[in-house]
Amino acid sequence: MKAANEIRLTDWGMEYAVRPCAIASFFVFMAFLWTMPLQHVIAYPFVFLFFGAIMGSAWFGGIVAGFVAVALSSLIITYFFVPPLYSMYVAKESQSFFAAFILCSIAITVVSSSRKRAENAIRVARDQLEAKVQERTAELRQSNLEIKESERQLRILTEAIPQQIWRTDSQGCVEYCNQHLCDYLGQRTEELRGEAFFNAIHPEDKPLFYQGWQAALKSGDRFEIEARVRAGDGSYRWFLVRSIPQRWEDGQIARWYGIHIDIQQQHRAQQNLVQAQDDLARMQRLLSMAEMAASIAHELNQPLTAVVTHAYACREWLQAKPANIERASATAEKIVQESTRAGVVVRRVRALFQKEEQVRELTSMNRLIQELAHVLRDEAIRKDVSIRLLLAHDLPQSEMDPVQIQQVILNLAMNGMDAMMQVAKPRELILRTEHHGVGEILVAVEDHGPGIAPEAAARMFEPFFSTKPQGTGMGLAICRGIIEAHDGKIWAENSVRGGAILQFTMRSQS
Amino acid sequence: MTERPDTSMDQRETVFIVDDDASIREGVSNLLEAVGINAKCYATAEGFSAHWSNAMAGCLLLDARLPGIGGVEFQERLRTSGAQIPVIFMTAHGDIPMVRKVMKAGAVEFLTKPFQKEELLNAVEQAFASDRARRMEKAILDSIQARIDSLTPREREVMDMVAIGLTNKEIAERLYLSVVTIKLHRGQVMRKMQAESLADLVKMSEKINTHRSGAK
Repeated sequence: MKAANEIRLTDWGMEYAVRPCAIASFFVFMAFLWTMPLQHVIAYPFVFLFFGAIMGSAWFGGIVAGFVAVALSSLIITYFFVPPLYSMYVAKESQSFFAAFILCSIAITVVSSSRKRAENAIRVARDQLEAKVQERTAELRQSNLEIKESERQLRILTEAIPQQIWRTDSQGCVEYCNQHLCDYLGQRTEELRGEAFFNAIHPEDKPLFYQGWQAALKSGDRFEIEARVRAGDGSYRWFLVRSIPQRWEDGQIARWYGIHIDIQQQHRAQQNLVQAQDDLARMQRLLSMAEMAASIAHELNQPLTAVVTHAYACREWLQAKPANIERASATAEKIVQESTRAGVVVRRVRALFQKEEQVRELTSMNRLIQELAHVLRDEAIRKDVSIRLLLAHDLPQSEMDPVQIQQVILNLAMNGMDAMMQVAKPRELILRTEHHGVGEILVAVEDHGPGIAPEAAARMFEPFFSTKPQGTGMGLAICRGIIEAHDGKIWAENSVRGGAILQFTMRSQS
Repeated sequence: MTERPDTSMDQRETVFIVDDDASIREGVSNLLEAVGINAKCYATAEGFSAHWSNAMAGCLLLDARLPGIGGVEFQERLRTSGAQIPVIFMTAHGDIPMVRKVMKAGAVEFLTKPFQKEELLNAVEQAFASDRARRMEKAILDSIQARIDSLTPREREVMDMVAIGLTNKEIAERLYLSVVTIKLHRGQVMRKMQAESLADLVKMSEKINTHRSGAK
């Protein structure tokens, strides 16, 4: 610490004491050396060289050296050159001269040193400017390199990205296609100029595509369409074509960038979903047959009740003393009317249930259940139930009406999910298939609900038996009907883990 | 209020049939008419409500499946609105939870269509009996109330105290009256209330009190 201070002190001394003193002494000594001989040649008093010394000191050594030079010069001039010579005394007649000398010296010092400082400042500024310019130049060079590199990367990206990318000019003329697009179309960019590009669109999608593209070009809005695009080998795949314009600063469209995203998979999945929704709707229609049966019963009951009551009334009118023949025959007329009405209902129902040809298709039960699980997914999510499939592999196929069997499983699954509404999570519904002896398969629907009460177990497959407030009591009865029509057996039991297992067997191909 | 000893005879007992199906209404009313029971038909619950008052005699034969307001809800609404008509339900299909619900809510009977004559007539008879008992009870209450209304405030005070078993002397002390005055009031109360004995008076007082607290 102390050492550092000392060093700083000596630095300071060098800068502001020793160096200025040395410079001042040097210049003043030089001036003195020259003045000594010259004073004999040039008129008295010859002191102008000292001005040069002071100026030099101030210039090279700064203002401190300047003042030291002034002081030294003053002493030397007083001693050597101002009468009386060789004394520190200044004669009266020389005093004004001497004062003028000192004033001039000071002025020279100040002007010279400030001049030097300004020059120094200019030089420093210039140096700094130069350094900065060099720095900037280097930066510019670097950023140019970077831009080039990123351009290269971008190009690599457009080529490497597993998507088809293109660029057109503001008029929609193809300027660039990446390798993927060219490979897919089997054409080079040059071949795609103009209308050629549209020839790759499927004829059915082309008009809409063309129209949409032209409209986008006109309006400058983003363009998006799904269309089939022909590959080089002539096959078509679904693509999502998306394009956005790039604009100049003034808002004019500079060019369009576009991408073709292959959505063949999604498109197929979507189609499957639509299909599944159709299936579900159909199954729901079939399920509602249960409700229809209940409403038929009601409709039939009404005229039947009227017939019975009218018949009783008719007997009463006839048995009255005296018999009221008029009322009795009017009542009999009513009986005819109501019976006819009941007959109409029966005829309508018969027409509705006209036995259609029995469908029997060789079907994979596992595939059927997988499809169904897909259909049930929304319902399961809504009811917070997870569906687990435990499907026996190498399950033989069965002869069945797939729609009816799906309806049965759907019904059992819905019942299972409903049963679990009352219990805490996690709720899991298991759909299981297994071999069941020779030439027979078993399908089980297992829930974690409260299970089946003993009194319900005996009657649950009977018509009009229901434990649900809104139930018609027809669902399981219809299920039994369908399974029995397939030469199968349906029954229920309680699981050892709690919950119910509803299961049925069916004959399969051995 | 005028005295009405028995209203069961001054109005014919009627079965009010509420069913949206005209053929059922016709059939049932025809049968009832044939056996000499008065019947009135309504297609909707609202139609019946507009017509009904507690002073009317009879019972309600109600279809459990009515459009708009269901039969079960209608029964509930009748009960909360203070209508005291006995209800017989009719339905096309026996729905056990529903049967339990309506029977708990005080239905007389639950008939499943199509029903036998005896089932219907038994149910109607039972409902009429229940209605008759209701009206009888009401008539008695009305007449007691009328007699109580004829008492002066002082006489009513005396009656209440007699009813809770206070002696003449105790009543006199509480009301700051002489025993003789109390005896006079008491005689007046017995006469106006047409009470044959003290026990009779106490019974009447209790009846009206339990009805009042029940009504609350």
